[in-house]
Amino acid sequence: MIQRPCLSPRLVLLALAAVIVPVLPAAQAAPTQAQVPVEVFTLDNGMKFLLVQKPEATTVSAGWVAHVGSSNERPGITGLTHLFEHMMFKGSHTLGTKDITRDLQIIEEQEKLQEKIRRIYDEQRARWRRGEIDDPFAAANRTAPEAELQKQFQALVDEQRSLMIKDEFDKVYTEAGGSSMNAFTNQDMTVYFITVPANKLELWFWMESDRLYNLVLREFYSERDVVTEERRLRTESTPTGKYDELFEALVWQSHPYGWPVIGWPSDLKVISKEQAEEYYRVHYAPNNVTAALVGNFDPKLVKELAAKYFGRASRGAVDPPSVVTMEIPQLAAQKLTAECDCQPETTVTYKTVGFGHKDGFALDVLAGLMNGRTGRLYKSLVLDRKIATSANVRQNSQKWAGTFSFNAETKGEATPDQLEQAWYGELKKIQEEPIPAEELQKVKNQTLGSSFRRLENPFFLLIQLLVFDGLGDWTHVNTWTARTLAVTEADVKRVAREYFAPEKRNIALYYRKAGTASEEVPPELAELPAEMQGMVKNQLKAIRQQVAAISDPAQLQQMLAGMETRKAQAPPQFQKIFPLFQKIIEERLAQLAAAAPAAGGAQ
Amino acid sequence: MKPYRALVVLALLAGAWFTASATAPIPAHPRDLKYGPLTFEVPKADKYQFKLKNGIPVYIAPDHSLPLVDITIWIRAGAFVEPLEKIGLAGMAGTMMRRGGAGPWTAEQFDERADFLAANLTSFAGATEAQVGLNALSGQLDPSLDLLFAMLTQPRFQQDRIDVEKGNMLEAMKQRNDDADSILRREWAWKMAGENHYSSRQPTQGSLEALTRQDLADFHRKFWRPEGMVISVSGDIAPKEALARLEARFAAWKPEGPKPAVPWPPAKPAHSLEPGLYHIEKDIPQAKVSIGHQGAQWDPKYENPDMFALMVMNDILGGGGFTSRITKRVRSDEGLAYSAGSQFGVGTYWPGTFRIFFQTKSASTAYAASLSLAEVKRIRNEAVSADELATAKNSFIETFPRQFESAGAIADLFAADEYIGRPHAYWLKYRDNLGKVTEKDVQRVAQRYLDPGKVVFLLVGKWEDILKGDPDRTAKITDFGTPVQLPLRDPLTLQPLK
Repeated sequence: MIQRPCLSPRLVLLALAAVIVPVLPAAQAAPTQAQVPVEVFTLDNGMKFLLVQKPEATTVSAGWVAHVGSSNERPGITGLTHLFEHMMFKGSHTLGTKDITRDLQIIEEQEKLQEKIRRIYDEQRARWRRGEIDDPFAAANRTAPEAELQKQFQALVDEQRSLMIKDEFDKVYTEAGGSSMNAFTNQDMTVYFITVPANKLELWFWMESDRLYNLVLREFYSERDVVTEERRLRTESTPTGKYDELFEALVWQSHPYGWPVIGWPSDLKVISKEQAEEYYRVHYAPNNVTAALVGNFDPKLVKELAAKYFGRASRGAVDPPSVVTMEIPQLAAQKLTAECDCQPETTVTYKTVGFGHKDGFALDVLAGLMNGRTGRLYKSLVLDRKIATSANVRQNSQKWAGTFSFNAETKGEATPDQLEQAWYGELKKIQEEPIPAEELQKVKNQTLGSSFRRLENPFFLLIQLLVFDGLGDWTHVNTWTARTLAVTEADVKRVAREYFAPEKRNIALYYRKAGTASEEVPPELAELPAEMQGMVKNQLKAIRQQVAAISDPAQLQQMLAGMETRKAQAPPQFQKIFPLFQKIIEERLAQLAAAAPAAGGAQ
Repeated sequence: MKPYRALVVLALLAGAWFTASATAPIPAHPRDLKYGPLTFEVPKADKYQFKLKNGIPVYIAPDHSLPLVDITIWIRAGAFVEPLEKIGLAGMAGTMMRRGGAGPWTAEQFDERADFLAANLTSFAGATEAQVGLNALSGQLDPSLDLLFAMLTQPRFQQDRIDVEKGNMLEAMKQRNDDADSILRREWAWKMAGENHYSSRQPTQGSLEALTRQDLADFHRKFWRPEGMVISVSGDIAPKEALARLEARFAAWKPEGPKPAVPWPPAKPAHSLEPGLYHIEKDIPQAKVSIGHQGAQWDPKYENPDMFALMVMNDILGGGGFTSRITKRVRSDEGLAYSAGSQFGVGTYWPGTFRIFFQTKSASTAYAASLSLAEVKRIRNEAVSADELATAKNSFIETFPRQFESAGAIADLFAADEYIGRPHAYWLKYRDNLGKVTEKDVQRVAQRYLDPGKVVFLLVGKWEDILKGDPDRTAKITDFGTPVQLPLRDPLTLQPLK
């Protein structure tokens, strides 16, 4: 599973989590600011634990974050962090095989074959550069030596499968009542989580320490294929996935956030098990991992089990390197224009601040003023001007850097360009006009609600702790509210002026690809002058609305007949238009006819 | 007061055994771990059940740990009561109750007030039910409840907001063919229930534009009434307080007109399945696939042992993630798909649907389908292993307490039972009924309820590449029948294109 840093709608809400109690209208006993009581301890090897007790629960939701994301990769191994996440479910020296000795031998033999295949791919890429083949990896371009190696490899896979206890890791948890088991990878972190029945707490320690310190990279290459399918699913087969990926690469010039978490397809083809092992040694050392448990447990017991199970590993030989490349300041606005099978839409993205920056809170409040059913964007673009079906912004503070993005989808005849201009107008109002005190208050009131709502679900609380720790500081869960509360009108205006200069814009305009729209220009209209086309289109629309309200077939028949008469009298260039009008009426007639017998229960 | 907490008896609180285990050596395999018992007593519905003077059942589960109150009102105003010439009426009325102003407040005032109170208010209508809901800060409960009851009893259906909503729905319709998954979902629903049943039929531009403000107001007056309602309340409120507030507001509500004739249970689809291989063209690198047929339906008492055996059967076949056979073969062994598995639907009002699903690169479509259908045949022809059976049953039984994991979950679960007519005994006997399922039961229900020879095989993707197949495999897509190409539908009229 891959997750972009946006996580979930509920986490986005968190971004607004200011708490102001006395501002609510009616007199009431003021609820105090929500605080999560977290107990923290760290093992000698550097692994940190965060505990939150929920004595009323029957379960423990538990997980851990490895402080490694796709921004720790480099060209050539993009996608490795996420592929590694998949590998963590494939077993260990203990789980997943009936014969570990032979299993390890097979893996070694497989690796030798794959190394030879990678050398062949070096040659295949050279042939591709010379224009001799169209795709270095396609089955159709396979050389005889590669085919032979693939055959030998498949034989080893078959032998290995006969020794395997398939997906035993999953099975052990499942039969013990584990649920919601999954993981996600983003640019900054890899997070693993599960909920277990409270009496099976020790199983969690057994299983997680086993895969942290006893892992075997089994079925590495078939899992690489699964990830390639995941890429097809999320990026290549969705309406906007490919263009979103292109846009990310445009936004980030020097910073590694520019490449996709799932990786470039050519890298996925050649990533090696050895590269994965090196990654594991450096980034999965206990000093780079934080665990969290939320649920029904005895903290004393947790500490003992933590030392017993996770204390087995020693600190990594080298500390994981920091991401040192900083985004270079953007010098000029950039624009991506794409055509897709999609609703026309507009995104404008600015680079702002990373996690924990003092301006992040004011940017969150700015987003709060813009968003929601009573936010400025919905009121202006959706309700008043009716040029958008949705419009919102988002401040996304990632670990090393952050962005602020506006996004809206068009309505009716509106264009992506209009939405872009509308956003600049709303931004200007914030920059130049006073912000009513009551409006600011509303944002803070709403965050009072969400500051409690985000604590309702223990599993969601677990994810928040892990994500904030992954970003750099779990205490954010308890400090965010107060710091957002402190934001003033002046703060909002200052950040609105500082981060949104015209040369800092990255603009993506998506247009519906011709031929996919229902409102595409019918060929009959193509011959008309452009100004006439619009007129006819409006007439078509009006007739459609008129006809939709008529349920009497006789009336529709009468309209059809009328059309014939008018057609006969129309100038020649309009003759072809009338069948379009007639078609609308005929469709309505067909619809009424279809509805009639079905009402009697026939299919 | 937190009644549901008292029901959890955790043996681990004794602690003695665990302290010992923390010093004992680490077992070589997790099967050697020893656990204390987790005794979980199913909450009794009657402890949460109350009744208003007008007869409406209310389920209340207090929990004072956070200053929040949740209220949901269930009502029989779903699409099943709307007339066929007014497709989408129930759904539009359900949506516009929240969005079109209510009582003394215009839509603008209502929205501002709700946001200022930090009250989350929702209204919605699906196929067989409609709901209004409130999540409010307990300190703001009364003004928030006033908003809830205003939209429940006196929605304004403001014309300008109806126009905005219709416009947005029209834009959403335009996107009907953009995403292959949404094409597959729509066509699958039609293949299973037909195009005219209220559970699967879709609005068109014509049907949408024909709906008027008067239609919405009439529909609300006729169907949004106290008769047939069920209410759930949870969170920071005592039952007495909750009941007093509800009684006062219902006393002030005088619905107009006669009690409507609501058909209950809702009518089944009148559709007979046409097995075959169906394809819809879309230029994407993957094929999106659904294969299946009709599922099963609960008996009125919810005790037919076949249904429990079916749950276990499907878990082993393709419903249990990596411990299930289709997922193992298609994803884990062969790396053909990111998600692959099966669902077996046991319906409340009509039979659900059995469906195998996966998405794979076009060339692998036939091979992945052959692997999946081979598993259907295998689970019919051979008994499952004792190990697979135990894993599936344990998983259901061990995760069972999570159904009741919060006050909100308990109140909503019992309210849902009341609404659909599921007896409380279902939960009391749930673990026993699952525990009784044997290898023989699994094979028996697989033979009785699965028929790999009579499936609807529906795929969306690039036919040319799907037909070519994988040069390394023998399976061909045409092995599964004579392909019938289904036309894409015009997104606004749903008439076949071309």
